[in-house]
Amino acid sequence: MHRLYLIPTLAINLSIILLPAILTIALAFFRWDGISQPVFVGFDNFQALAGDRVFWRALTNNIIWTAIFLTIPIGFALLVASMLLLISRGRILLQVIFFLPIIIATVITARVWQGMIFNPVSGIFGWLEQFGIHLTNPLTKTATSLYGVAAVDLWHWWGFLAVIFFAALRQVPAEQIEAARLEGATFFQMLRYVLLPGIKSTIMLMMIMTVIWSFLVFDFVFIMTRGGPAYSSEVLSTMAYRLAFYDLNVGKAAATALVISLFGLVATFFYIRAQAKDGDL
Amino acid sequence: MRPAKILTAAIALGFSATLPAAGEEISWWYENANPEQRRALDEILVQPFEASNPDAKVVIDYRGSELDKQLRIAMLSGRGPDVVMTPGPAFVASMAQAGQLMALDGYAEKYGWNDRLLPVFLELGRYDGKLYALPKTYETLGLFYNTKMFADNGWQAPTTISEMETLADEMIAKGIVPFAAGNASWQGTNEWYVSLVWNSIAGPENTYKALKGEIPWTSQPFVDAISKLKEWWDKGYFGPDYLSLTTEQAFATISDGRAAMAPTGTWSFQWVPTYFDGREDEIAFIGFPSADGLPAPIYPLGIGSTFSIAANSDAADGAAAVIDYIFGDTFYGAMNSVWKGEWNTPLRDLSAVSISEGKIPQYGEAMSDLASAVDKNQYGYTTWTFLPPATANFVIQGIEEVWFGNVSVEDYLAQIDETFQSELAEGKVPAIPAR
Repeated sequence: MHRLYLIPTLAINLSIILLPAILTIALAFFRWDGISQPVFVGFDNFQALAGDRVFWRALTNNIIWTAIFLTIPIGFALLVASMLLLISRGRILLQVIFFLPIIIATVITARVWQGMIFNPVSGIFGWLEQFGIHLTNPLTKTATSLYGVAAVDLWHWWGFLAVIFFAALRQVPAEQIEAARLEGATFFQMLRYVLLPGIKSTIMLMMIMTVIWSFLVFDFVFIMTRGGPAYSSEVLSTMAYRLAFYDLNVGKAAATALVISLFGLVATFFYIRAQAKDGDL
Repeated sequence: MRPAKILTAAIALGFSATLPAAGEEISWWYENANPEQRRALDEILVQPFEASNPDAKVVIDYRGSELDKQLRIAMLSGRGPDVVMTPGPAFVASMAQAGQLMALDGYAEKYGWNDRLLPVFLELGRYDGKLYALPKTYETLGLFYNTKMFADNGWQAPTTISEMETLADEMIAKGIVPFAAGNASWQGTNEWYVSLVWNSIAGPENTYKALKGEIPWTSQPFVDAISKLKEWWDKGYFGPDYLSLTTEQAFATISDGRAAMAPTGTWSFQWVPTYFDGREDEIAFIGFPSADGLPAPIYPLGIGSTFSIAANSDAADGAAAVIDYIFGDTFYGAMNSVWKGEWNTPLRDLSAVSISEGKIPQYGEAMSDLASAVDKNQYGYTTWTFLPPATANFVIQGIEEVWFGNVSVEDYLAQIDETFQSELAEGKVPAIPAR
C-alpha cells in the first residue's frame, strides 16, 4: 500500500522528464522545422553533424570548458576552503562574500561583465583607456572569447564550490587535524594527508557533476557571445538552440542534444559506480 | 466539398458578416514595448477600436523578445492568439504550409486591402496563391551621416561606392571611424552589411535571380560583393569596437564625432532625439551608395513582422477588424507621430495621413522616398525578409568567419548556396514578388 505514495513522483517524472526525453530521441531521426509535419530521415541528422565543422568546434569547446572547470575552480575552492577551516575569525563573513556571486542571476552577472567591465565605452576597460591602459575585450577575439566567458562563469562559480568543500571539511574529525598539527604538519601536508582524503567523496561528486554541468553550459555563453565571434565560443547547447530556434532544424538540434546527453550519461555512470563503491557518497 | 459542408460554410460566413460578435475577446501577442509604447497602443488602438466596436475587447499580451518561439509552440498546440504576429514572411510560409493560418483573401476583398496596400507587400504575404499575412511595418537600409562633420571637412554625401571608399579612407587617416557599427546586443547587425553589398554591389537584379534559384549565390557578383565587405572590414571601416558596442552605443558615436557615417536602417531614427537633441539638422539619411553601373540609390526592403489570423481563431472577424484598423489612415498618423520607425504600415497613399513630424522631418522624407521607390519597383532585398531561416542565420554567423579569415569568401557563399537550395526544395523560401 505504501508504494502508492510513489505515484505522484512517478507521474511527474514520466510526464515531464521521460516523455520529452523519448520525444527528443525520436526527433533526432526526423527532419522537422517545429511547425509542419516531421519527416523520418534515419541517421541523416547525425551524418550532417559529423560533417559540420561547427559541431566539432562546439564539442572541442565543451571539452576545453570541462577541463577548465575540473581544475581551476575546484583547485582554488579547495585551497580557500582549507584556509577557512584553519582560520578562527571572519569565517562567516568570508563565506557570505564567496557565496554571493552564485545568488546573483546569471543574466545580471553576464550583463555586468559584458557592459560594465569589458565594454570599451561603458565599462571599466573603457575607463582605463583614459589613463593609457589598453585592454582588449576578450569576448571580441576568436582566440579568447571562450576563455572570456569562462572567466566570468568561474568568478560566479568557485565560491559555491568553496562553501561546499568547507562544509565537507568541517566533517573531518577534529582529532585528525589536531593530531596532524601536533605532529608538526605544514599546511600543504595537512591538505595532502588529512583534509583531501577526508572529503574525497565530496570532491569526486563535484567533479562528476562538473562534467555534467560543463556539457550543459548555455546561459553565460548565450548571453555574452551567442557562440561568436565566428563560432569561436560555440558550445553544444548553444548550437542546439541555434539549430532549433533560428535554423528551424529541430531534428539536427535533437541529435546535438543527444550528444550532450551521451556525455552526461557517461559521467552519471561513473557517479553511480563511485556511489556503489563508496556506499556513502 | 460536400453539399452539407458548403451549407455549413455558407451559414458560418453569413454569421461572420456581423462583426465583431457579442462580447468577443480578440487576443494579440505583442513583443517588447516600454510603458510609453504600451500606453500609445492602448490610447491609439485599443480604446478607439473598442469605442467603435462596443462588444469587442482587444487583449494585448506583451510577450517580450522571445515572442516568435512562444508563438511557434503555441500555434503548434492550437492555443495561439487570434492576431498572429510572425517575425517575417519566411515564418508565414512555414505556418501556412502547416495549416496554422487563415487565408485572408476574403477579408482583403471586404476591406479593400488589395487597393490600399503596396502590391509588393501583398505578394510577400502569399503562399500557394492565397494571402496569409500583411506586413506590420516596413523598413530599409541606408546611410546616416553627420552633416556638420561633412561640412567641416568639405565632404559631399557619397552616391557611389568608390566615392564612399575615398571618404572612408580619408576618415581613417584623420582617426575617424568611417562606419558607426556594433553588434554586441544584436548579432543580426551583421546581415545589414551583407544585405547592403548584395544590393548595392551585386545588384538587385542578381539578388532577385538568386532568390528565385535562377543563379547560385556563388556567382561572381556575390563573390565581388562579399570580397568588398571583407576588404572594408580589413581596412577598419567598422572600427575597433564593432563586437563590443551595442547598436545604440554605435549610433551614439556618429553624434560625438568618433564616427562619421552609419550604414543602418530606418529604425535608427528612434535614437535621433536622444543623441542629436537640439541639433537634429546635423544628421541626414540617404540611400546607400551603389557600384558603378547600378541605379542609385537602391533601397533594400525589409519587413519587421507580419499580421495573420490563426486558422482556429474563434474571433477571426474581430481580428480582421483590428488588423484593418491598424491599416487605417488615423492609426498610421497617430502612431507614427509618437512611435517612429515601428509602425510604417505599407499604405499606398499617404496623402490623407497626418503625422506630427516633431523635430525630425528626415524620417518622414525617408519613408516617403522609400514608398515612392517601392511603388516604382526600385527596391532591393534584405536578407531577414527574403531568405529562409537557416540561410538567413548562416549569413549572420558565417560572415564573421569571413571577416576573421577562418573561411574564404567562396566557401562562405558555397555554404549559403547549399543551405538555400535545400530550403528552396523544401518550400521554405518566401514568395518573391516579380520585379
